[in-house]
Amino acid sequence: MPSPQAVTDADLNVVAPPWDYNPSAWSQRIPVCILAGIATVLAAYMAAYQWGLVETVWDPVFGTTDDVLDSKVAKKMHAWFRIPDAAFGAFAYLGDAVFGLAGSTRRWQYRPWLVILFGIDVIPLGIVSAILVVLQGTVVGDWCLLCLITAVISLVLIVFAYDEVWSCLKYLHRVWQRTRSWRILWKTFCGLPTPEAAEVALEFASNRA
Amino acid sequence: MWSRVVEVMLGVWLALSPFIFRHPGSEQGLWLNDLLCALAVITAATLSFWRPTGYAHLLQLVIAVWLIGFGYFAAPHPTPAALQNNIIVGLMLLMFGIIPNDASHPPEAWRGDRMPETDNDNRATLNSNA
Repeated sequence: MPSPQAVTDADLNVVAPPWDYNPSAWSQRIPVCILAGIATVLAAYMAAYQWGLVETVWDPVFGTTDDVLDSKVAKKMHAWFRIPDAAFGAFAYLGDAVFGLAGSTRRWQYRPWLVILFGIDVIPLGIVSAILVVLQGTVVGDWCLLCLITAVISLVLIVFAYDEVWSCLKYLHRVWQRTRSWRILWKTFCGLPTPEAAEVALEFASNRA
Repeated sequence: MWSRVVEVMLGVWLALSPFIFRHPGSEQGLWLNDLLCALAVITAATLSFWRPTGYAHLLQLVIAVWLIGFGYFAAPHPTPAALQNNIIVGLMLLMFGIIPNDASHPPEAWRGDRMPETDNDNRATLNSNA
């Protein structure tokens, strides 16, 4: 039995409802980081084209991606963001990987702010990606293989990541239900311990709630 | 602390970038902005390694907002490469600056001796259920 002073791996690696596994485990998070890393590289490559650093973009299926990457929509977004839209995408995917890596294997309890930030990056990003793909077909009238691949990765990332976000929201909701205190909810969100939140987390993790 | 290491690297890149992208000859302020921000980024990241100033990395968020705002508003579209670089570095700092030190472990407040009573009392139960 570990001393109460030490936080061991067994303490951290607990099942979080509604799942029968730990959604914050490394085995859950590493695939997200790897996929997001691949998407980062692909998006950065397309950004390099939009910056004029490489001449063409590899596309064995649709032949040329220029029509998409140089489209009016892309140009308009460049003017809005001041950086190419692909660079913005690369940044967002990198965020998925970085926020996926940070935190312990019990971060749904210890750092809810980080899990929520991760969720905000993964889920709306996936939706934006899907919208941009629809725009390709409808507005631009052309396709771009690498854009499609990154869009698919975005959607897969949502599937991989939503379980942890869901557990985290459920835990925060429990804390709110128990205490009805904005102060405690806020502290819990920020990762500051309170006896009430610790109690809720304990029940939550042992499926007794 | 990996996030702090990345911040130092971003700081070094920011210091190198005016030599790579070049500013128009008369724009000394742009050089000064890049170099001072780089110095601030590296200082804040380094200070985070010292316990009493462990939260210094949050200063990166302030520097990041400044860099993004500066890159965005200092010139109309099309933004020169050097200023686009400021926006990119700012976005990256925003992302890495918010990551806590020692991020792979639970926050200190949740660790061991400072654990709230209830959790300590039930720790054995928790372990048997886990």
